[in-house]
Amino acid sequence: MKNGWNDNGQRRNRGTRRAISVSASSACSALIVVAVAALGAQQQALTPQSDPVAVERGQTLLVDQCGFCHGANARGASGGPDLTRSALVQTDEDGKQLGEFLAAGRPDKGMPKFDLSRTQASDVAAFLHSAIYLNSNRRLYKILDIVVGDAKAGEAYFSGAGRCSSCHSPAGDLKGVGAKYEPTSLQGRLLLPRGRERVPGSQQMPLYADPTGLKVTVTLPSGESVSGGLVRLTDFEVTLYDAGAGSPRRSAEGAEPGSPRRSAEGAEGGRLRTWLRNGETPKVVVSDPLQAHLDHLTKWTDTDMHNMTAYLASLK
Amino acid sequence: MIIRADDDQRGTRRTRRNRIGSACSAVSALIVVAVVVVGAQIPTDSWPTYHGDYSGRRYSPIKHINTTNVKGLALAWVSRINTSRAGAIVGGEGPDTPPPGSAPAIKSTPLMINGTLYFSVPDHVYAIDARTGRDVWHYAWKTRGGDHIGNRGVGILDNWLYFLTPDNYFVSLDVATGKERWHHEIANMKREYFSTNAPMIIGRQVIIGVGGDALDIPGYLESRDPEAGNLVWRWNTTPRAGEAGAGTWPDEDAMAHGGGMPWIPGTYDPELNLYYFGTGNPQPVLAGFSRPGDNLYTCTIVALNPSTGKMAWYYQVTPHDTHDWDAAQTPILIDGEFNGRPRKMVAQASRNGHYFLLDRVTGEHLLTSKHIDSLNWTTGINAKGQPAHNPAKDASVPGTLVSPDTSGATNWPPPSFSPDTGLLYFGTRQTFSVMYLTDTDGRPQGWAAAERNVGSVGNALKAIDYKTGKVKWSRPLAMGPGGSQGGPMGLLSTAGGLLFGNDGGGNFVAYDAATGKPLWHAGLGTNTSNGPQTFLLDGRQYIVVGAGDSLYAFALQQ
Repeated sequence: MKNGWNDNGQRRNRGTRRAISVSASSACSALIVVAVAALGAQQQALTPQSDPVAVERGQTLLVDQCGFCHGANARGASGGPDLTRSALVQTDEDGKQLGEFLAAGRPDKGMPKFDLSRTQASDVAAFLHSAIYLNSNRRLYKILDIVVGDAKAGEAYFSGAGRCSSCHSPAGDLKGVGAKYEPTSLQGRLLLPRGRERVPGSQQMPLYADPTGLKVTVTLPSGESVSGGLVRLTDFEVTLYDAGAGSPRRSAEGAEPGSPRRSAEGAEGGRLRTWLRNGETPKVVVSDPLQAHLDHLTKWTDTDMHNMTAYLASLK
Repeated sequence: MIIRADDDQRGTRRTRRNRIGSACSAVSALIVVAVVVVGAQIPTDSWPTYHGDYSGRRYSPIKHINTTNVKGLALAWVSRINTSRAGAIVGGEGPDTPPPGSAPAIKSTPLMINGTLYFSVPDHVYAIDARTGRDVWHYAWKTRGGDHIGNRGVGILDNWLYFLTPDNYFVSLDVATGKERWHHEIANMKREYFSTNAPMIIGRQVIIGVGGDALDIPGYLESRDPEAGNLVWRWNTTPRAGEAGAGTWPDEDAMAHGGGMPWIPGTYDPELNLYYFGTGNPQPVLAGFSRPGDNLYTCTIVALNPSTGKMAWYYQVTPHDTHDWDAAQTPILIDGEFNGRPRKMVAQASRNGHYFLLDRVTGEHLLTSKHIDSLNWTTGINAKGQPAHNPAKDASVPGTLVSPDTSGATNWPPPSFSPDTGLLYFGTRQTFSVMYLTDTDGRPQGWAAAERNVGSVGNALKAIDYKTGKVKWSRPLAMGPGGSQGGPMGLLSTAGGLLFGNDGGGNFVAYDAATGKPLWHAGLGTNTSNGPQTFLLDGRQYIVVGAGDSLYAFALQQ
């Protein structure tokens, strides 16, 4: 879950921004109950149709009786307007208003009347409401076939202009990568492989304890230097995860609003450490293990991205 | 803060109700003698409208707190919102059981009138004592549904308060008691309309706008009469057949379903009698192929005569948008010099990554500049100063890498302009995302595409010179394990040389407005979620800001 700021009805980025952002993968993989709570603001006016059989019956009826003018998907055709955009249809309740409309028709506009039973009108309405719901809910949109690039060109880019081969190899870390990830994940990881793919049933590691999270080295006036995963850096404080500290882990509740409350797998034994900052003291140096990927974001052409996706997808 | 019906709590509530009673009568007594007039500058003793004044500058002339003494700023009180209906005045058309959901964030800018703060979250309006943060009254709305993403706040005219609900009701309450006067439905939530706007009071008119872009629905702005709440005029954000601008759409159906939601309160010039606001994105959102043309008046800064509801001029900041970058961000009114002569201007740091400066008398374009570096979606600035649409950067089936993402380079949180520094302040993001066309039908619907966020190459708080559009200073925001955090934020500048905002890392910060140097901070643990505001009460300056579910007030230690 991205926690951004656009909230004019766009189904993303809601609510309060936490000091520590929860990684996208961990939020997505949270229990349904948690996800619903976190996305509470995303509730829609529309609800899914509960009777798929009625929807199917309605679709058959619509194709037979309305499709010629309004299109088989009800989105309109040369003879009639888009029914899924119709205010009458959108505000209809279980075929009631639609049925009344169909019984009268609109002869002045060339719309004949239709003698549908109450059940038939309800079925047609069920199909239309279902289509409208699917149009309105972009979280349910299905990404289509994205593996359309030229794998050969992708391979050339990998070892050529992309300079990917300076860190990666198809026989090494990328062996079988095309079988491991579905294409959209693969493309996302090509761009920025931050965080691990969620393994169902396992506990998520906080991103600061993950090898792909940002790293930080804090050097104190005494000369002592501590390195670890970056939890947070502001003008006023720096917090890191010291994996090898060996001492008891500090209580997350007390120290870190928004951080996971349970100690996570792989984070056992480490602890969070915080220093307040006063200008350049202590000295703080941040590094990003994925800096090359980040820098590359401004360099990609979409064609190179598609070709690389096809190449990686071919590494089964 | 859920009040449970155990004995202890009941005792507390009884006491509180008594307190409320006396507070209410005190408030109503004061209101009779003090009529608040919204002017060209924020008053020192109140904050009477969303932006404090009509200009949208969010610049306060109060300088009790300043760069010298801001170190002594301390917490005066915290008020955590209560979304339980227990103990509240309850209205609304929905079921008795509230929908499940987490505590909403405070996105409204509280109004402060006669020692009381008035603010809202979806379905709830609160009046609290500005001196103590204690409850005066709480109004809870029984919702029928709708997107509960946020509420920008309330409008107040004399003894009456106005607000909008997620299920599109325009509601009026008695300022003194919170008792409901009436409510009217202004849009149908079954069409995925929802309302977040703070009503803007101009003279005897209440200006409101609708929101929603899940379905292809038309946007509109309305003026309502403050007594009965009836419609005075409605301005459609897209033309109907035969109207000016219709030629920028392929057909009647496209423009009648073309979106353009005016979901953020605008600004107003009383001398010119013009109301300025930005409109939302066109529909379908990420697929433009069924709506070739510029798609007026979406993604447009509009100047409207509020007496008549007629448009005086417009300037479209994103012709034919295909990335959800509405132009709803505050159009800030600036009076100053441009190219050696005084001008009345309007400026916008826009979601599409560009800064625009216009003459607000005529709409003449004066300046366009890029305010983030990462943007990759336009072929360049055209002769009218608009960033030109680049079809190659529209969502595609195999994915198009776009910067910024659909949330934009900046967004709704109120920016600020200080006439002392000549700088416009706002938070920015340099994000990338992949946009996938999912609806390849010739008549795509709704969003028509999916988005996968990638990451940011650096978010920052920026100060740009209004005259040149150049960045005077830029302050990187917090870093987390996933990289740069934060971005758009509510801001307040003051005559004390301060700029109040956040750092993207959960701190509320007072920056030196001239240099961006942080001078003071409070670790709230959560980023501020509304526009900070300020006022003098009993000679003491308060700074009030919302962060998540709590409102915080700060004042100098006495």
